[in-house]
Amino acid sequence: MRAPRTTIGRKLVTAMMLTSTAVLVLAGAVFMGHDFTSFRGLMVSRLVTRAHILAANSTAALAFQNSDDASQVLHALATDPSMIAAALYDNQGQLVATFPAGAKPGAVPARLVATGHRYERSRLSVSEAVVEEGKRLGTIYIESDLRELDERLRADGIVLLLSVFGSIAVAFALASWLQRGIAHPILALAEVARTVSEGKDYSVRSRAVGDDEVGILSEAFDQMLGEIQRRESQIRLLNADLERRVNERTAELEASNKELEAFSYSVSHDLRAPLRHIDGFVELLTKHAFASLDEKAQGHLTKISAAAKQMGALIDDLLAFSRVGRTEMRKTSVNLASMTADVIQELREDAKGRLVEWKVEELPTVQGDPSMLRLVLVNLLANALKYSGPTKEARIEVGARAQNGEIVVSVRDNGVGFDPAYAHKLFGVFQRLHASKEFEGTGIGLANVRRIVNRHGGRTWAEGAIQQGATFYFSLPR
Amino acid sequence: MVLARRASRLALLLLLLGILPAAPSSAGPRLTHEYDLKAAFLFHFAQFVQWPPEALPEKNTPLTIGILGEDPFGKSLDEIVANESVGGHKLLVRRFQRLNQADSCHILFISSSEKGRMDEVLSRVNRRSILTVGETKDFAQRSGIIGFVVAEKRLRLAVNLAAANVARLRISSKLLRQSEIVGPLRLQE
Repeated sequence: MRAPRTTIGRKLVTAMMLTSTAVLVLAGAVFMGHDFTSFRGLMVSRLVTRAHILAANSTAALAFQNSDDASQVLHALATDPSMIAAALYDNQGQLVATFPAGAKPGAVPARLVATGHRYERSRLSVSEAVVEEGKRLGTIYIESDLRELDERLRADGIVLLLSVFGSIAVAFALASWLQRGIAHPILALAEVARTVSEGKDYSVRSRAVGDDEVGILSEAFDQMLGEIQRRESQIRLLNADLERRVNERTAELEASNKELEAFSYSVSHDLRAPLRHIDGFVELLTKHAFASLDEKAQGHLTKISAAAKQMGALIDDLLAFSRVGRTEMRKTSVNLASMTADVIQELREDAKGRLVEWKVEELPTVQGDPSMLRLVLVNLLANALKYSGPTKEARIEVGARAQNGEIVVSVRDNGVGFDPAYAHKLFGVFQRLHASKEFEGTGIGLANVRRIVNRHGGRTWAEGAIQQGATFYFSLPR
Repeated sequence: MVLARRASRLALLLLLLGILPAAPSSAGPRLTHEYDLKAAFLFHFAQFVQWPPEALPEKNTPLTIGILGEDPFGKSLDEIVANESVGGHKLLVRRFQRLNQADSCHILFISSSEKGRMDEVLSRVNRRSILTVGETKDFAQRSGIIGFVVAEKRLRLAVNLAAANVARLRISSKLLRQSEIVGPLRLQE
């Protein structure tokens, strides 16, 4: 099971943090926006109030055209540094006094009658009517910079920033604490799942309690584990039972097989004694009475003798075949190359006068019973030699290759070959594809080969076609 | 975008129109002449002086500005006062030649033509609630209530607060700020 790239706890904390930060920032922005507009309104109303106070104080100055006094009234603004400029106009709109006294032309409007307020980039100006006893006497104009607004915004910003950071810290602590309740059961569940998948141990349980979906999940998971555990133990029981039954059957089979072999061995063995008598008395009869017999009787006697000898050979082969199945295997390292060379050397004697080309590739050393493997090689090579007899220039090749964890040895000849339709019959006992008149033999050699190779844990098979040679293979486990 | 820009331009235009000062021609003649100014001052006195209730018993009692002697204002005082009222009292201008006619007015301008009998005039009206205004030398010092004084080519006021007290007139501090206080603080009874 791969390690998680992130944890559910971290994800939860991130989600909570993002949410709370977004909410805070949004709320802060709304608060600042609201504060900005309301403070602007407040600034206007404060400036208007101030204008009203100054207007009330300057009525007489305007009425009696006392610009000195008007200047003095306006000079009261000097205590507030945010006041940039101010001016008084008579009821004709003519400038009467300015603040600061003697302000540059352009600092205040040259003429003014209208009233109202106006925000500019960095200042706020207010103009109000100067009225005494319901009679308009003139106009007052005050201009303030926006430093108060700036300071207010800066203070708001600082408070907001501090509260956002503080809230984030609190939110982080809370989120870290709260996520445990959600993440811990999940982590416990994940840990159990890991243990199960890595250790194949189905007896663990998450035992996580909770009233939420994780609780349900955990419960279901525990139930599933229980079910798996139950089924696994069931399968184990079934397996054990099956194995026991297979063993029983195998033992039964082996026993009956042994019985059968013992039977065939004893039959073969018991047949030899009467056969030897037949052979012996035929021989005696031939020695003493052959000449006195007519030609026809002589022929019968010769056939009896030949048949008895062939039967003896068959019985010997059967006994040998039986031994192959019964003898204890003694496995050692067998050098196939030198063994093949020995066998070929022996067979050359039989092939005197024939033109045979032997070709042996590199052969490996294998594990096996030397005498049995020697029997395999003798049988295969002798077969090759025998069935290439009619060929003028016989060619016998021995090769080996490793494939799929096996060593496959092949023996190829360019002899008479066989009909591939009968390939499956080749390795059976007494199965012959050619008449014994044509090629002598008992038909037990390849059966021996198969039995020996099988006992070594390998396989045997053959490829070929009529008059196109044959290739016999056997494999041995590495 | 275009609409918004157009709207803001329109707003700017309206703002400019509002803030722009009205043309001088529509605001009437400029008060430059000395008596135009004095006439205006006479009118403004009505705004900054409070008479005792018995002087203006009814809501509709007119507030009378009287001129004793030769009228130096011509038409300007009538023009200024026309259709004006202070505290609900219509303003009225009356011209007198004889002192006993002037008893019922609230503001009495005593013309320079009465210079010869100034003390007599003042001693006759100073116990009544009449705001006496004059332009003769030391008018206020001689127990007139408000005297016009021309100094450095500017029209200034001299106020005799004691005389005002005797007449039971309350002069607004705003007006006093514009004035020079003269005479004793309290006139001997």
